[in-house]
Amino acid sequence: MNLEFNEDQRLLFETVDQAVGRGYPAGGRAAVTGTELGWSDQVWQTLGELGLTGLTISAEHDGADAGPVEVYATLEAMGKHAAAEPLLDAVFLPSWLIAELGTDEQAKQLLPVLATGSATIAVAHAEPRRPWGRAPSVTAAADGSLTGVKSPVRGADQADKFLVTAVDDAGRTGVYLVEATADGITRADGRAADWGHTSQVEFTGTPAVRLGGDGVAADAALRSAFARARVAVTGEAIGLMETGLAMTVEYLKTRKQFGVPLATFQVLVHRAVDVYARVELARSMALWATAAVEAHDSGSAVELSATADDAFVFVSDAATAVAEEIIQLHGGIGMTYESEVAHHAARLIAITESFGGVSAARRRAIASEALLRAPSALLNNADAVTA
Amino acid sequence: MDLELSKADVAFRDGLREVFLGAVPEDIRRRTALGETTREDIVTSQRILNENGLAVPHWPQEWGGRGWTPTQSHLYSSELQRNSVPQPLAFNVSMVGPIIAEFGNEEQKRQFLPATANLDIWWSQGFSEPEAGSDLAGLRTTARRDGDHYVLNGQKTWTTLGQYGDWMFVLARTDPDAPRKQQGLSFLLLDLTTPGIERRPIKLIDGSAEVNEFFFDDVRIPLENLVGEENKGWSYAKFLLGNERNGIAQVGTGQRIYADLAAASADIPTEDGPLADDPQFRTSLHTAKTALLALEATQLRVTAASENGKASPVSSLLKMEGTQALQELIKLRMRAAGSDGMLLDTEAEVVASEAAAVAATQYLNQRKLSIFGGSNEIQRGVIAKTILGL
Repeated sequence: MNLEFNEDQRLLFETVDQAVGRGYPAGGRAAVTGTELGWSDQVWQTLGELGLTGLTISAEHDGADAGPVEVYATLEAMGKHAAAEPLLDAVFLPSWLIAELGTDEQAKQLLPVLATGSATIAVAHAEPRRPWGRAPSVTAAADGSLTGVKSPVRGADQADKFLVTAVDDAGRTGVYLVEATADGITRADGRAADWGHTSQVEFTGTPAVRLGGDGVAADAALRSAFARARVAVTGEAIGLMETGLAMTVEYLKTRKQFGVPLATFQVLVHRAVDVYARVELARSMALWATAAVEAHDSGSAVELSATADDAFVFVSDAATAVAEEIIQLHGGIGMTYESEVAHHAARLIAITESFGGVSAARRRAIASEALLRAPSALLNNADAVTA
Repeated sequence: MDLELSKADVAFRDGLREVFLGAVPEDIRRRTALGETTREDIVTSQRILNENGLAVPHWPQEWGGRGWTPTQSHLYSSELQRNSVPQPLAFNVSMVGPIIAEFGNEEQKRQFLPATANLDIWWSQGFSEPEAGSDLAGLRTTARRDGDHYVLNGQKTWTTLGQYGDWMFVLARTDPDAPRKQQGLSFLLLDLTTPGIERRPIKLIDGSAEVNEFFFDDVRIPLENLVGEENKGWSYAKFLLGNERNGIAQVGTGQRIYADLAAASADIPTEDGPLADDPQFRTSLHTAKTALLALEATQLRVTAASENGKASPVSSLLKMEGTQALQELIKLRMRAAGSDGMLLDTEAEVVASEAAAVAATQYLNQRKLSIFGGSNEIQRGVIAKTILGL
């Protein structure tokens, strides 16, 4: 029983923390999301040199073959600096889909390139007015060409390729690989709530290749990859919340009104404590879910989706409350684009709607049969709590 | 990371269950699950635990302690709570016992520790006063030296289960001229049959009288009943508060209530079928589920940290969040019972269910969770100061 990093994982966290911290001075997120790239090329290069772009990719394909704890440690450190580099969206998530669905040929073609960090792949699943868990409205013709609209697609403006979910003639959902330069792509770019780059992408008879070849159904792989992503992103949320809290505590100590520091007012101090409590419990939940995914990967009976939903719901609720409070406790300053805390808050809110979002996760969790069993964090210690 | 108990810990846990389920009578556990434990239940259960070496595992080994690892201690609290075994009386095993074992003299240890472990003596706590609640050091009860006795005058209040008390450990002012209010306090042991003591029950919001006030009028305490040094009582009381507070988040209790409530909900009718299918109920249940998971994971992190010899400053967090989560669950149980649960007592024979019969009384009674043991506002103050530096 252990929910802490081991030595190597601790070292990984510190390495990423330092490397990303150097590229993100105060106000860093505002600066990089305002560039054409949308993130820092220098930090991206460093992440690549450290092998982090290959974290989730097998050694066979030049990756580090690391597990969910390494993913968590990396993303928590990134979150600490509100870093915008799309490790999870454009590398980890597509790598899981390719490893799960792709042919050996496709894996060989795509994964080593992802591992070096020299290419990114945008996963296009969301569609306007389409529930996340429904089959896509984008269709794949018999020749594999795609037609329909995906939105929002994060990082589409910089992506080298897309992985697009679409339904074939037989009504099966597949994941299709599309070159960003292919014919029949119309992109309308914009900004997400966290100032990250996001686009609507329209496909019109766009040539595409199905992962795994004709007829390979992707539902299970999509469920599992998105569940992994929901757990992974809780790591980023913890880093963001931790820094948001620290900035708020510092602000309460230094900002003066009525001739005294704000920390003189107990009502504000107690609200900061409640933020702390949210962060600490959310951290426990995120670590627990990460450990559960690790146990799943080593063969334990863990339901990946249900675990991810429980953790994602709890961390999203915490992230929302923390985002709101760190703005409120900063007063008008927290509302400005100039303030760092505003970007932490905005990113936290965007996280709650990622990979299907908190409401859908809660609906699944509430519908689950497991709801009527008492929860138990330890895998081999649940049987005693029955009615 | 690792989410499994080791084989040895599983064996240890199963050994605990053998005693908890095999030796502690089922009717006692049923009453405890409903929050209706009697004095006899507590005594019977503690003596059974003591017979099996399970009443005072955290004491020094010489006096019945077991020298457990933090994980074993965690499993002990967790299994007691999950199985609705009455907790050994906290005043005995978590408060006065450890203080006598640490600061008492040999004679006091011999006289009190075995009887305290076996609940042959029922201890009551004499700390709070009408003017000294959260601000405990402001207490006014005095103990003046008079020959070979202290003479106690003043008033104590909120004495939980004081109606059963044989003895009381009292924090009293022995030096009224000490420069700071924390100085000049002493830790005294008082036989409650001594003349000059008046005991009055305080009727509570749920109709129970589980707390009491005590009035002392020239009550004579032999000098040998001073624990440790005179005027050092505050440091002993603080030792007690800083003592490892295992099971403080009461996750096991929450898991028990959750399991019972979820099972009962299949059998509670609504206009649209069983409550178990009601989206509103299921939403609340899921909130409770994730809160319990996060609390248990926090508790496990603390436990693992102390395995590695690291102290964790989060006992205030566990107290604050644990009591809130438990109160929410108890409220959900009341909502589940609806008007069937709105009973303090009844002479009627037909009640909806055992759980419904206690739903409102338990809801009202358990509002105390966020008040006693250092109110949750006091805990926020502790966190602000020790963790956030505010």
